[in-house]
Formats: sequence, C-alpha cells, structure tokens
Amino acid sequence: MSGAGADKTLTEEAFMHMIKLKVNGYVQELVVKPHQTLLEVLRGPLELTGVKEGCGLGECGACTVLMDGKPVNSCLVLALEADGSEILTIEGLARAGGLHYVQKAFVKEGAIQCGFCTPGMVMATVGLLQENPNSSQEEIKEGLRGNLCRCTGYVKIIKAVEAAAEMMREGEQT
Amino acid sequence: MTWKVIGKGLPKIDSISKVTGEAQYTVDLKLPGMLYGNILRSPLPHAKIKSIDTSRAEELQGVHAVITAKDVPLNKFSFFQWLADKTILCSDKVRYVGDEVAAVAAVDEETALEALSLINVEYEPLPAVFDVEGAMNPGAPLIHDKEKNIGFHVERLFGDPDKAFEECDYICEDRYVTGQVSHCCLEVSNCIVKWDSSGRLTIWTNTQAPHTQRQEIARILGIPIRNVRIINSTMGGGFGSKLVIDMKLPIAAILSKKTGCPVRIENSRVEEFSTAKTRYSYTIYVKTGAKKDGRLWAREMKVIGDNGAYHDKGPATLNFSSMMFGTLYNIPNIRYEGNLVYTNKQMGTAFRGFGNPQIAFACETQLDVLANKIGMDPLELRLRNANQPDQMTFCGAEITSCGMKECMEAAARAIGWEEKRRGKGLRGVGLANMVHTGAGGRFYGYNAADAFIKLSDDGTVTLITPAQDMGQGAHTVMAQIVAEELGVNLEDINVISNDTDLTPYDLGSWGSRTTFMNGNAVLDAARNTKKEIITVASEMLEAIPDDIILEGGRVFVKGSSDQYSFSELADYAINRRGVPISGKGRFVDKLPSGYTIKEGFAKNIPTFAFGTQTAEVEIDEETGEVKVLKVVAAHETGTTINTLMAEGQIEGSVVQGIGYALMEGLTLKNGKVINDGFLDYKIPTIGDIPEIETILIETNDPHGPFGAKGIGEPGLVPTAPAIANAIFNAAGIMIKELPIIPEKILKALKEKKGS
Amino acid sequence: MKSFKYLCPKSVGELSKILYRYDGKARVLAGGTDILVMMKQGKLQPEYVVSLQAIPNLAYIREQKNGGIKIGAMTRLREIEASSIIQTKYPLLSKAAGWIGSRQVRWRATCGGNLCNGAPSADLAPPLICLGAKVIIGGRAKRTLPLEKFFLGPGQVGLRRGEFLQELVIPPPLPRTYGIYLKFTRSAMDIAVVGVAATASFKEEGECNHLRICLGAVAPTPLRAVEAEKIGLGKRWDEERILVMARMASEEAKPIDDVRGTIYLRRHLVEVFTKRILSECLEQAQTKP
Repeated sequence: MSGAGADKTLTEEAFMHMIKLKVNGYVQELVVKPHQTLLEVLRGPLELTGVKEGCGLGECGACTVLMDGKPVNSCLVLALEADGSEILTIEGLARAGGLHYVQKAFVKEGAIQCGFCTPGMVMATVGLLQENPNSSQEEIKEGLRGNLCRCTGYVKIIKAVEAAAEMMREGEQT
Repeated sequence: MTWKVIGKGLPKIDSISKVTGEAQYTVDLKLPGMLYGNILRSPLPHAKIKSIDTSRAEELQGVHAVITAKDVPLNKFSFFQWLADKTILCSDKVRYVGDEVAAVAAVDEETALEALSLINVEYEPLPAVFDVEGAMNPGAPLIHDKEKNIGFHVERLFGDPDKAFEECDYICEDRYVTGQVSHCCLEVSNCIVKWDSSGRLTIWTNTQAPHTQRQEIARILGIPIRNVRIINSTMGGGFGSKLVIDMKLPIAAILSKKTGCPVRIENSRVEEFSTAKTRYSYTIYVKTGAKKDGRLWAREMKVIGDNGAYHDKGPATLNFSSMMFGTLYNIPNIRYEGNLVYTNKQMGTAFRGFGNPQIAFACETQLDVLANKIGMDPLELRLRNANQPDQMTFCGAEITSCGMKECMEAAARAIGWEEKRRGKGLRGVGLANMVHTGAGGRFYGYNAADAFIKLSDDGTVTLITPAQDMGQGAHTVMAQIVAEELGVNLEDINVISNDTDLTPYDLGSWGSRTTFMNGNAVLDAARNTKKEIITVASEMLEAIPDDIILEGGRVFVKGSSDQYSFSELADYAINRRGVPISGKGRFVDKLPSGYTIKEGFAKNIPTFAFGTQTAEVEIDEETGEVKVLKVVAAHETGTTINTLMAEGQIEGSVVQGIGYALMEGLTLKNGKVINDGFLDYKIPTIGDIPEIETILIETNDPHGPFGAKGIGEPGLVPTAPAIANAIFNAAGIMIKELPIIPEKILKALKEKKGS
Repeated sequence: MKSFKYLCPKSVGELSKILYRYDGKARVLAGGTDILVMMKQGKLQPEYVVSLQAIPNLAYIREQKNGGIKIGAMTRLREIEASSIIQTKYPLLSKAAGWIGSRQVRWRATCGGNLCNGAPSADLAPPLICLGAKVIIGGRAKRTLPLEKFFLGPGQVGLRRGEFLQELVIPPPLPRTYGIYLKFTRSAMDIAVVGVAATASFKEEGECNHLRICLGAVAPTPLRAVEAEKIGLGKRWDEERILVMARMASEEAKPIDDVRGTIYLRRHLVEVFTKRILSECLEQAQTKP
C-alpha cells in the first residue's frame, strides 16, 4: 500500500485510500479499497447492519441511505465517492428519547412485516418528505417506486407515509 | 364479544427493533473466525461429470477447504425420504443449471469467488428437456435412474364422473398453464454453521421450520438428530421458500468440519433467481360439467406439475391441491389425477398457496366461461353452488365455520358488481372464490403444538412457543392471546421461539396453521398459567378465586379498590409461598376415528378458510396493458386477532397475486434463467398497486383460539383468476396462461377480431 | 467487483490527460448507476476508474441569451427532472428524466452518464435528439457534434482518445412546438422496452413546419424515423396521415427479440406510440393559442 492519504489525483499505484466522512453525526476515518461500495463499508467496518443489501444493483432500494440529504442506493456509491459527505442511516434516525416521526408512523400503521425493506423504505421516505412535506399519493408512489417490498403489498406503507407527512405538518418533528 | 386486545390493530411487538435497524437477520450475523463459503454450480442443464480438478483452487492463498462429492456423504435426500433423489454435491451427473458440484471456504467472499473460478470441471453434455409434456414422451432424456420422468402420481375419485358428465347440460374443457415464479424474499437465503467440541452442529439460518429442518440435516449428513441445533434469527421473508433445507446447509456443515471454523454461505441475488427453488408450474387440464340450473355436477382435473430436477414438496402440493379441488363447491362427482414430472430446471418447493393458486386459476376462470355458456351471471352460478357451514362434502372434508356466501356478497357489493358487470369500454370486473386450509393439516402424521409460559420474578411473562415469525406477525398473535387471557400488557410479554434446543417440536409456519395450531396451544398454556395465578392471588389477597380480576397488568379483587402488580404477585409466589408460576399448553388436532384417505381426502384439515376477491381492470387494447383499478378481498378470519396484521397478510398476498397474474415468470434459454434480477424479473412496485379494499369476515370458528383461523395464504389464491375473469368481462378474451402479459392480450384480441 | 485503480482529477485538463494516457484501460465514473452495475456483473473490468466528482463546473443548467439552454454533463437526472426552466421549455425532457429508475438512482445518475453509456434504450436520447441537442466534447480540443451522431452502436459512443462529454446544448424551442415522450414499461420502475419521442411545430395555416420523431430501444442506437418525418413535414395532418406516419415509423424500427419484448411487440408499440404522440401534438396545436 502506497501512502495515498487524502490526495487521490494521479496516484497510479494506489490500492488503498483514506476517506473521511460523517456517518450518523460522527466523523469516521477509514481505509478503503477502490472497489468497496459505501454499503460494504457501512455494514462492514462501521457495523451498521441496519443498512440492508437486497440486490447489490440498485434495483430494490433496501440499501437506501441519505447522502448529503438525498436518498441514494449505497450499493452503487463507491466508498471513495462518499469521501467528505454526510451519511444518515436508519441507525441515525431516532433521536435520543424517541423515534423519528416516520418511524412512529410505520410502526403505528402496521407498515412493517418482515422488516427487511423497512430501513431503506424509511430512509427513502425521509428523503421524500424532507424534499416535499406535502407529497400527494401519486408523488409518494413515484418517490418510493425504487423500494421493493414483498410482504406488505405497500398499502400500509402508503398510509404510514401519509400519516408521517401529517405529523410533520402538525409540527411533530423530533 | 368485546375483548381487550383481541381484534385490535396493535403494532407488532417486533416493530420497533425492525424500524430502528436493530433487528438482526441471519445476514447480519458474524462469528469470530468465520469463513466464507461459496458453491460451484453446474452451468449446464444436463451433463455427466467427467472429472473435477480442484488443485489450483486449493493452492490459492486464503482458501481453507475445497470439497467435491468425494468429500461428502452421498446419502440421497428429499423432504419425503422415500422419494430421495438428491445428494449434497453431484457425483456423476448434473441435472439443472445451478446444481451443486463443488464448494470452497475462504477468508473472504472475494477469495471464495476466485477459488471457484479456479476449479476445473469437465462435463459431457447430455440432451436436456425443459417442458413437462416433452419430458413425458417415450423418447425423452431420462433425468434420474428411472424408466420415465414421472416422479410421482396421485389419483382421487369420488362419485362417478363419467356417468355424471353424461348427465350434464353444459360442459367446458380447457388447458391452462401457470408460470414458474420466484419467492423474491428481500433477505436472501443464507446460513452460518459451526461445530462445537462435543460434536454438536449449530446452524444459524432463516427457516420457517427449524425442527423439521433439523431432522433433514441429520438425515442428509448421517448424524443423530440430537447433534443438530438450529437457531433462527429475524427472518426477511419466507413464503414457503424456507421450509425444506437446500444444499447450502449440509455443504456449510462439511466445510466447517473440515476447516474447524464457522462457515457462512449466502445466496447472491442472482442465485436466488436462477438456482433456488420456485413455485411449481402446473399444466392443468380441467373439465367441468353443470346442469341446466347451474348446479355443478361433475369435474375432472389432470395436473402435470413441473417438478424440476429433484423432488421437494411437490407430492404434498399435488395432494393439497386435490383436496381444495374436491372441497370448493362440493361437487359430487370428481376425479383428480396429478403427476410430477422431472425436467432439467430448478426444483419446485412450497410457495404461499401450495398448489391452490395454480388450480384456482384454472377452475375459477373456467367457471366464468361455463357461466357464459349457460347465460348465467358468474356470481349467481357460484352462489348456487356455495359451500355451507357444518357440512361434510362429498369428498369427506369436514367444514365447520364457512363464510363463503358472506365473502362473495361483500366482495361483489364493494366492487360495484351490478353496474360494473355491464362493462364500459374496455373496463370490466371479475370474481373468484377460494377455499384453503385455515390450520395446516395432519399431512405428515402429526398436527399438534406445545407451548410454555412462565411468570418471571419481575412480573413479566415469557412465552416459549415454536411458532415461527417470518414477518407475518405470529409472535404478536401469540402475545395477544396471552395478553387477553392473563390480562397483561403486550409490552410485558417476551416471546421466545428461536432455538430448537429450547422450543417444543413443531412442524413449522406453513399452511396457514400457526394462528390455529400454535395459537390454541398458547391459549391452553395461558389458561393453565391463569389458574396458578388465581390460586396465588386468592391466597395473597384473601379472596375467593372467582373474585380475582386480571387486567392491565394488575391484579384486583372484585369490589375492592386494592390493586397489585404482577411483580408483587410473583414476589409473593416465590418468596412467601415458595412456588413459581408457570403454565404448559398443548393442542392436538384429532383426526376423525377410522380416518383413511379413501374416505375423505380432506378430512385431515381442521378448518377451512373461504374467501372471495373481485377485481376491476381496464385494458388498453392498443398496447395490451392491463391496468388493475381495484381489488376487493373478502376473507374469513374466523375471529380477527389483529386487524392490521390480517389486512397486511391479505394486502401482501393480493399484490403477490397481481405479480403472479400479470408480471412474474422465470424465462429460460437452454435451461438457463435469463431474467435473474429485479431488472427483468418484475415484481409489483408501490407504483403498480391498485386500490385494495380488505373485508374481514368473522365466522367464529368453533375450534380456533378465540374463534380464529389462518389467513397467511388465502389472499393469494383467487387474485389471478379474479383478474383473468375481469379481463374476460372487459374484452371477451380468456387468457389461459400465466403471466398475462401484453403480448398475450394483443394476440387474443387479434384472434377475436379475426373470428 | 474486480479491483481497479481510482483516479480523481481536479480539472478537465487533468481528466483529458488521464483518458489519453490510459486509453482503452480507463472508464469514466459519473453517477455510477450504470457502470458500477456492469462492473459488479463482470461485464466491465477497467483497470482505471476516473471519477468526475472533483472537477468543478460540470453540473449546471444555464439559460442562454438566445432562449436555449446548456446543461453540464454531471447534472444529476433529478435536477433535470425538477428544473423549472426545463419543465417550462422542454417538458418532454423533464418527463423523460423523471421516468428513469428511482429517485435514489436519479440523485446520482447524470445526463452525461445516461448518454455515454450508449444504451439504445437511453431515455434522454430520443427527447434530446428531437430537440436538436448538440453535445460539446472536451479533450485535447473541444468539438461539437449533433447528439444523433454521437451514438454508434450498443454501448458505443463517438468519443475519441482522451475525450469526454462535457456539455449539452439545446437550441431555443421553436414557437408552437409540441413535444412528447412515451415509454413502454413492464412495471412502474423499468428500462424502456420501447421509447418514442416527437417534436412538431405547425404554421398558423396548419402545415407542419418542423417534425422530428426519434425511437429508442428498437435499434442498435436511438433512431430518427426520417421516412415517417418526410410524410408529415410540410403537410397538414389528419387522422389518416398520422396513421401512415406511425406505420412508417414502425417499419423503420429495427427491434430485436429479447427477454423484455419480442420484435412483434416492439414494432407494434412504435406504431401505437407514434400515433398517440402525433395525435396529441396535433390536438395541442389546434386547441392551444
């Protein structure tokens, strides 16, 4: 391993790189290989197993995290590309003393069955509602179409998102 | 009846751990020193193995073990051991693309993958066969050492169908084909396996049936059952895919033994689609005859099930579908013939509905064609032939509670049957009925369950039950039953079910049996625990047992304002009385005496669950697209234990049903799956769902806990035929092959125009 | 995925040097939603991956004085979808962008990436070609190319050694121009099985004085249906003429059979979509001022 440090330009022989990113509010410094994805780094060295892998190809949304506030499939982001960014995963959502309003809504509306799609679905919802708290049902369906669920049939997920939006409008932000 | 927790839409008890990312699924587990295993699979659908050279793989740095057939016991295995036909690794022949040939264990996934690429296998390709009718031909390549490719055959006969058909005024005869579909659980199938120094094998895996899988592992490895322990984690979906072991488990066990390290093996998503087990595709010939007044008088069905390359639950699905075939509408003269035919493809296994969705598609769509012939409204035809409660059918099924009429009327009303049947442009509505088991069945000689409750010294209640929760909420149902009976709060109940060393023997979560079977056992345990609680309370509070009230986690005496907590009660029991509080429960489903399959081949089902779905569709006749506008699903629950969860089961099933009807199907080229990802194997997204209305019909089953029966599978059974019938109403075309993709609609419309 | 060396140039000059030096061994990484999938599937195994993320001034949507726009190659699809300038001036482009993948994909995927991936089904291509877009190619020397000349075959685009796609230039919309993009999908999130775009303008008297029809996913590259255009250009349209144009477009298509659709279905859908789009354009022309 040659000392690549944070300088990534024209270092031809670099096999390992150092990245620095903020994850759930904490600064993390990691040594990563170029081909490692953000998902692998979150689940691996950072042990954030709440972020799930469903397909690895950006088709199912189970690995959704917020990257600089935007929902992305972490399986299709190289760890190196996340250098300098702020990542929020499901583990970072609940504040001390309570669940995020989206989490509360998912629990209350029965939108969770096996729960494997839930972290990604919740993060995608947070991204969706942060962008537009007044999303219509059509916009909800469009905004979450990249998150597959095999258990619920989505009916209660839609209810949960609408309930969360309502909570948000009523100022119940945690 | 008003209950305190039964019937309420309470959030599942595991919701919070799931919504925070805290819940640990098998894929999230790591053990110290764990190695990563991977399997080399056959790239050919049918071939002889000439030689395998693993030397280069063994030399790769980071590889701890490489195994082939010579390193494993070659006991043949199947779920039904008398049909055993598969070995852990192939020794002489491979029989489908994906068949396990070799395996490696290495320090990480990358090294394991690289090692696989260094294994050299020399194959001699053999002619392969991919369709059942071709495989049944005399000249077809033989897949196993048998005279023909028919692996299983079953026949059922009641009444005299041949004579009865002669008495019919209207007859329909048709051929249907249902697709080969994949479970698509979000969590892939995976396991970690470890031996300990006493020679015991511990397996962490996502399984719906830990006790029977334990037997299977023991059998295939040739070790005593007592040496196997299975620990289940939170499951990321099941739907039947996690009932019978696949070769990952014994392969991991052997790698672990060889290396002395725990070994993890995980399916990739590609493997999940292209090599894992699927729903059985059925080719169905069905003939139905009716009298002038619409009475269904005779029905005959021949099913050819595509077994794939090896046996699994196929015989059971044929048997079960024959039972449902015989029960719905109580037709007096029926004949059923089922065959399982080997093909060089992925094997089939259990999948929600278990043969019933396949035959329901055929039977319920044919009924609409028949109704059309008679000139009768399809709803009317079905109402005339509806099953009744407390009825024994001609084929011997003992129906207790039955809400079929109510389901039909509710579903029809909610879709607007009267007005919408007239059709408007290319819009139409369709209806389909179903019957399913609401409690599994005594299929394998056993249908019982045990449960155990203890009151801890801190006043919380622990329930030990073998009920497996794969997301459907089994644990919450069990906890609600305990909460209702003992008057404790849901959050004070701890449910443990995940260790075969701890839990009583159970067949597992399948056949919609958990609520009824395990629920009854839990209710029994709760009642027995309550007896002990009341004995202690009456002594502690100096009151007569009848005056003791348990409510909200507290103990009261009738007429007094004094209340005590459960922890105070437990403290009294242990420290003053010197005896702990617990309760054991059991439920055994009794078969009628003198039962033989000849007398009644659905007699071993404790209770039946009826349901009806209606669908409204709109067809784009230029593109062939079918838009489902609304689905109404009216299903009996007996008693709904948890409304949110019952609705959730139905909604999830309906959407799977929409996928089954319109989108899903594995496509093969020369035996290899070419749509091995979510890109080209389409399942419904949130953008694809119609309006779904769920109606829960409560028929108060006489034997279910609080009157409940199962709801896990019924929701999937009538969806495809309801949609196909709606298409028939909208455009006058009946598509008889699933999935109903635009090409088929366009072709049928073209043919109709031409004729 | 197989490992590689990762390079992260800080300027277009550096980028060009790297691409020139490692010609044939390097792939550009924009949003990653196409190439990382192919690398994970083993379809691509570049020795060097060259990230664009540190190069400034590659992501923008700028209105030009002449009324047209310039879009930087690294502009995310989500920004194109949501841009009010694009929604107003070129609604079919915004719609096409929004039809790609999921929001998660569109927050990473870029317009440059969508085009340089060279997929015959690229959703941005038919609308951009109909809009007369040009690509600005950076490298040793900058050059401009009409977008429809940029595609050479499945996965192949007209970039020479050391070159990269830098910018898109879209001319100002013609007055009374109507443009629509339709895409056939198997579920709500899907690649285009068939894509058709058309832009049409009509004189006050009713004749069509501008027409472009572009087909996606039915040929080795996005394809202009030029014969169909000839039938409509300079003429007044009626239902019959539209049907003839649609039929011709479907004949010009060169679809293949694959797991997503058959030749029959694709040709048929080209005809149906072309008919619907052209009818809609005509109707908008007749009802709008």
